[in-house]
Amino acid sequence: MKLPRWLIVATALILVSPLFGIYLADLVGYHEPLDIAIEILGLKEWEDKWPFKDYSIPGLDPYLGYIASGFIGVGAIALTIFILNRALIYIRKKGS
Amino acid sequence: MHIPDGVLSINVILSTYVALMGVTYVAFSRISKIWSSSLAGKTSSIAALTFAAQMINWPIPGGTSLHFVGGALSGIVLGPWAGFTAMLIVLLVQALIFHDGGLTALGANAINMAVVAVFSGYVLYKLLSRRSTWIAGFTSGWLSVFLAGALCGVELWLSNPISITPLVVMALWHAALGVIEGAITASAIAYVKKKAPQIIEV
Repeated sequence: MKLPRWLIVATALILVSPLFGIYLADLVGYHEPLDIAIEILGLKEWEDKWPFKDYSIPGLDPYLGYIASGFIGVGAIALTIFILNRALIYIRKKGS
Repeated sequence: MHIPDGVLSINVILSTYVALMGVTYVAFSRISKIWSSSLAGKTSSIAALTFAAQMINWPIPGGTSLHFVGGALSGIVLGPWAGFTAMLIVLLVQALIFHDGGLTALGANAINMAVVAVFSGYVLYKLLSRRSTWIAGFTSGWLSVFLAGALCGVELWLSNPISITPLVVMALWHAALGVIEGAITASAIAYVKKKAPQIIEV
């Protein structure tokens, strides 16, 4: 079975993502313009205990967790669009 | 550019959620008329690629950092309404599963990245694409990130009107960092146009 090209590209992006999202981010102290703006205003993000916060999986090595999060995210997106597709087809059939 | 929980005022939270519900209603009315299995496949692939590309952070030593947004690319490849749907689903997954972007800020994040970035990128590309694909792709990618970043700054300022500096910071940094978004958008569009021009909606 031939995999779709977009899935191969997405897999490649996810596999290299910890290099940028964890290693290099820690190395240079990753912060976005929004973080700077929030700092200037003296605001703080709410503290919370989200299980998969910042693309981590509890109990898993951060690098593996980041990769696993990528696949979970892509799977969740595909599932959501599958459900949306079914719903739209159903609505259209019901309307006609 | 994902606004977290705790920085927006209740007025901004409510107004952006109301605006998002309005746009979502119109978007679903529009896409229900044009929806097909082919568009479902394209929406799925662009949403998944955008999600994966957003996981690649580009840290810039000594300065600030960024990640790809993908709003303009979604709008150009899928058209504005399916592009909005793809970006909204990416933002929902990021907020609900990974808490990247707060739940209270989901309305604002979606208005910035799924509405402003997608529609501005789509419109500008449509206006410029007859002259040059690369220039049209670059300027639409750049403008989409600049406008989304600037609007994010406006939302922060409306929530905390003590200083206009955060608005200026957001606008200026995104004007500069948008160059990378523009280059990626232009390169991706040029590649798709060469390999499979039929899948581009504009």
